[in-house]
Amino acid sequence: MIRFEQVSKTYPGGQRALSKVDFHIAQGEMAFLTGHSGAGKSTLLKLISIMERPTVGKVLINGHDLNVIKRRQIAYIRRDIGMIFQSHQLLMDKTVFDNVALPLVIEGYGHKEIAKRVDAALEMVGLRSKARNLPITLSGGEQQRVGIARAVVNKPPLLLADEPTGNLDPKLSMEIVRLFEDFNQAGVSVLIATHDLGLIARMRYRTLTLKNGKMITDGLTDGEEGL
Amino acid sequence: MSILFKGRSQGASERKINIAQRFVMFFVNHIRQALGSLGELWRQPAASLMTIGVLGLSITLPSTLYILVKNTEKISAGWEQAAEISLFLKDQTSAAEAQQLLTRLQTWSEIERVVYVPADDALEEFKQLSGLGDAVKYLEANPLPDVVLVTPGEKHTAPTAAQMLLEKLQRQREVDMGKLDIEWLERLYGFLQIATELVTIIGVLLFIAVILIVGNTIRLNILNKRDEILVMKLVGATDGFIHRPFLYTGFWYGLLGGVIAWMAVIIILWWMDSSIQAFASLYDKSFHITGLTGSALLTMLFLSVMLGLVGSLISVQRHVREIEPQ
Repeated sequence: MIRFEQVSKTYPGGQRALSKVDFHIAQGEMAFLTGHSGAGKSTLLKLISIMERPTVGKVLINGHDLNVIKRRQIAYIRRDIGMIFQSHQLLMDKTVFDNVALPLVIEGYGHKEIAKRVDAALEMVGLRSKARNLPITLSGGEQQRVGIARAVVNKPPLLLADEPTGNLDPKLSMEIVRLFEDFNQAGVSVLIATHDLGLIARMRYRTLTLKNGKMITDGLTDGEEGL
Repeated sequence: MSILFKGRSQGASERKINIAQRFVMFFVNHIRQALGSLGELWRQPAASLMTIGVLGLSITLPSTLYILVKNTEKISAGWEQAAEISLFLKDQTSAAEAQQLLTRLQTWSEIERVVYVPADDALEEFKQLSGLGDAVKYLEANPLPDVVLVTPGEKHTAPTAAQMLLEKLQRQREVDMGKLDIEWLERLYGFLQIATELVTIIGVLLFIAVILIVGNTIRLNILNKRDEILVMKLVGATDGFIHRPFLYTGFWYGLLGGVIAWMAVIIILWWMDSSIQAFASLYDKSFHITGLTGSALLTMLFLSVMLGLVGSLISVQRHVREIEPQ
């Protein structure tokens, strides 16, 4: 599903964020991406969502080389990728419903279809009763779940999450990860960047570790060994 | 259509709806966005009104000047019709010779009408009009020459054409000299020419100003919505989708500015009409300003809308591109 081939990224000014990264995440797989801050996790995710372009190497999604995607096509690529951010990136002056509906409005769905799908997405994250609230009135965990509902409302085959549990306590973090597991079980490929090693340790998923822009481990976490 | 995942449906474009429905949806979406932009203006009435006011008044000035120039042209066109050439005949010309000249001139295609005024008649008229009355009686001989008044045909009333006709008439052997009081007409024409050019220049300058004002207002709108634009780009909005509300805002600015200009022009003309009438009555004339004609009004509104659109288009092209998720 996601394949990196010898990908390096050097920012203007010479800062080397990624060097010769190689990995492949299969369709329907769920994986964690970890490393200290500044290790290149965010850069890696940005290369997948084409917020940045690699300096060297290829990023492929479902066999399509992202290097050949033109600027005008980027919007269509992002419709296939559900993205979740640590800072939620919600529109604070719009209701929860409107926030979640945004991807559908952009894709030109009709009113009824939008209402149906938004309802379903909010149901999944357990916020159906808060559809008419403004995000500002919700707790941090709830806001994050609104962001997740927005990311999955148009049923993308791929989910990317950048520090989705960054500001949440362990219990809420676990709830969020459980949500991702649900989506994964429905066939969605999920890649979660986090530096929350405790969270990863409790899970049994493949973990990619970045250090100074290099991929140093790619495999199951320690707790997973023996299975 | 998804680029990455063949067969994955994406939005309305992939669902099975026929062309007619898609066509209707296209318009429904546009109308929705247009009304959305109008609503946005409505929610910030003070700021919107100021921008619309500036646009309206900027368009009012050239429009009013244009109307005044058009009206002056109309009046002068009336005067032009009356342009007359006076031919003073040589002293020794007999009445018979004068009649011959008259018949000859009547055959000229350039001439519409000729009137013969014998010297005696002219003296009589002079006596009555000048108020000198009996004093004229003391003259030993009639000092006035016989005169032929020539009214040029329609195509020969313009200054240059009339001048050429005058020169041709002066070559007639009975004619001593001809006089065409045309200099003031030429001056008026020159003045009108300059006035027209001034209106054009003022118009162009103000239109550029309007584009800049709209562009800058839209730029501020874009900056205000920076976060929203970022999020929209993150969830896959195309540039066109992001541009559209701003373009509609520009459209509304233009249209509403045009309507303000229209009302302002009507008020200004109504205001000026009474003083112009007072002025015209000095000349025993009744004159009403012709206001904006239907086609002129449509042109003005169209121009106004175009200015709003161009201003916002320049702004969105430049500034929406600058906002990219980091």
